[in-house]
Amino acid sequence: MAGLPAAGSSRSGASLSVAVGGRVGVTSWWRTPTARRFIFGYTLLAPAVLYVALLVGVPFLFSLYLALSDASVGDPVARFVGLDNFKAALENATFYVALRNSLVFTFGAAVMKGLLGTSLAFLLVQPFKGRTVVRALIVIPFTLPIAVSVLGWKWMFDSQFSVINWALSHLGLIGEFGSESWPVWLGQPGLALLSVMFVNVWRSFPFSAIVLLAGMTSVAPEIIEAAKVDGASFMQRFRMIIVPMIAPILFIGAAFDTVFTLSDLSIVYLLTNGGPDGATEILPTLAYNTGIRGGALGRGAAISLFLFPLLLPAIAILLRTLRRRQY
Amino acid sequence: MSDPHQVQSDHHSVDRRKFLKLTGTGVVGASLLTMLDARQAPAQLKGTSLRLLMWSHFVPAYDVWLDDFAKKWGETNGVKVRIDHMPHLELPARYAAEFAAGAGHDLIYFVGQILTGHYYKNLIDLSDLANGLGKKYGGWMESSKSGAQVGGTWYGVPDFFIAIPMLWRKDLFDSAGLGAPDTWEDFRKAGRILKAKGHPTGMPFSHCNDANHNWRSLMYCYGAKETDPSGQTILIDSKETREALKFAKAMYDEGMTPEVFSWDDASDNRYLASGVACWVHDAISAYRTTQDTNPKVFEHTYVLPEAKGPVARLNMGEPNVWAIWKFAKNVPAAKEFIQAIADHQKEAMEASRGYNMPFLRNQYTRPMPGLGGDPKLAALQEQDKITVFFGNPGPMTPAAQEVLTTFIIPDMFTKVARGVPVEDTVKWATGEIRRIYAKHKAS
Repeated sequence: MAGLPAAGSSRSGASLSVAVGGRVGVTSWWRTPTARRFIFGYTLLAPAVLYVALLVGVPFLFSLYLALSDASVGDPVARFVGLDNFKAALENATFYVALRNSLVFTFGAAVMKGLLGTSLAFLLVQPFKGRTVVRALIVIPFTLPIAVSVLGWKWMFDSQFSVINWALSHLGLIGEFGSESWPVWLGQPGLALLSVMFVNVWRSFPFSAIVLLAGMTSVAPEIIEAAKVDGASFMQRFRMIIVPMIAPILFIGAAFDTVFTLSDLSIVYLLTNGGPDGATEILPTLAYNTGIRGGALGRGAAISLFLFPLLLPAIAILLRTLRRRQY
Repeated sequence: MSDPHQVQSDHHSVDRRKFLKLTGTGVVGASLLTMLDARQAPAQLKGTSLRLLMWSHFVPAYDVWLDDFAKKWGETNGVKVRIDHMPHLELPARYAAEFAAGAGHDLIYFVGQILTGHYYKNLIDLSDLANGLGKKYGGWMESSKSGAQVGGTWYGVPDFFIAIPMLWRKDLFDSAGLGAPDTWEDFRKAGRILKAKGHPTGMPFSHCNDANHNWRSLMYCYGAKETDPSGQTILIDSKETREALKFAKAMYDEGMTPEVFSWDDASDNRYLASGVACWVHDAISAYRTTQDTNPKVFEHTYVLPEAKGPVARLNMGEPNVWAIWKFAKNVPAAKEFIQAIADHQKEAMEASRGYNMPFLRNQYTRPMPGLGGDPKLAALQEQDKITVFFGNPGPMTPAAQEVLTTFIIPDMFTKVARGVPVEDTVKWATGEIRRIYAKHKAS
């Protein structure tokens, strides 16, 4: 028979204590310092978990429920239809156009934002007079209400009264209104997609620049100076010192940007509503027009859920790389 | 406990100016009350409140009139009325949210996107009201019924529709030796001749409401049908559709510029008002915009209710329908309000400057407000005879609604205008429409 454990020792679940004077009592595990730390930690974490569960988990599960049902906007009693809505999306030729456009829109915009954001961050990290004011001004596109700024762009891209075309025409770069060389920004398929991407880039690249700037200012100047002394060129310093050092910030910024861009409905909806002939159709506009305006909630939800397998691996890879770098 | 200071009386003298002001206000108020008292709402409405969800009308003056009418109607009947205006494209999302929450406005309004078929199980049966209005005003336009009825029961009450006529420049037509146009061929010819003189035409090949209206009108004039009258059989794959597509392609090539691929609902208004367009196919808001912004062009702008096609002269209108949620807190007041608006259709049409076309036959008695007094608009006083709605000749079902909101018809015309063969395009559109109707049939 095993002897009694020593006073104060504990096993998982409960500990047996032998008190002075021969009184023996059982102390609950949750009163131990380990358990208290455990409970305290999870209590601090609980609001965040609750927030994610309620505002992300529940809507996600609800959209999954909708996608597997024949729910419509006016019928609360939906029938389980399995994967029919996903099959319907895959049978829809417009879906493939929207999928292709979503990928081009997201990755094209990401590349442009990366280039412009990096250039801007390098400019803003340099000391010059009025730097604080300039830094504040460049975030204006990001802070403007999206409806207002996109309507401004809609006018600038207007087929007849475009200020861009007016300027180009006065500079002699294009012909008069009505001539062959007069660009119709939102009417020519390639230009239309480029225009919506451009507005997304215009709106978001200050965010990329600010993220980069935050990272760059955290790199100790001594390290850069030492690299300079060692003869490292500008690109070598950027590629081999700055980028590795600010990689965690870059990864988080990239993750945010990918999610926001891929699920961005407003810019396309307000500028072209997916037209002409699907040239700017993306998954969010197709899902909205099918699910809400067309009333077929189930099919709309299924289309929007196609974003999930696109985003999940991208985010998983980013977070995995980030974790590896941390340890 | 009473406050002794409350019962103080003023003994100011009434001077002449104040007397005139008071009596003037009294006369105006009394006139309005007489107007609104024509039908007195039931006494049990007193002390209740009514919430309406409306669109932001394309003619802002109409919203001013409506808000004022609602205020005075509320004062007369002891109902506190509140109207919320929203852009029409945002209304479907709002209805979905209200339906999911089971709470919201008492009286709602479907604009262009008719959701009666989706929500009818959750809408009040308004058959008594709609039948009463039909009886009082000479009956409803036949084509309007499917926007408000499901299975013969009225779950909505049609309010007005928007006519989309041809607006053409007489001075430009005259300068080219062209007579007054009457057919689609006439308009095609005008586009061909006048484009060369710097005055092209335009119909939107894009994802906007006008594109949905315009190309359907052309299709229907060519005899093309979306479905059979029951809405069960899809008839888009036809010789008539192909003819309409070929005609549209020719009309684009000869008379339009690529900017039509980028147009929104206001672009054709601007095109006409700018003096560039030789003709556009648009609601009379374009005519009114031109009247307000470019009187010189307006002077030469004329209106044709619709161009005649090889088979018919049919105009696709945009319908607007009232509905009341089952969860509405004040159904009696909502019904009374619909009745009051219908009884004041002439004032409403006047306020909209002839934009709000009635669905009730007897409201076409001449002269119609906003139209009868303008020789150029007078022809629209028979618009009820040529107006049909989306899905034609089938009903405005949820499936037809989805075909509308996913822009399949405008995309079909866009593809052909861009050079995709007609056969491939018809095959694509038929497939898309069949898929949508099959899904709705299955559910």
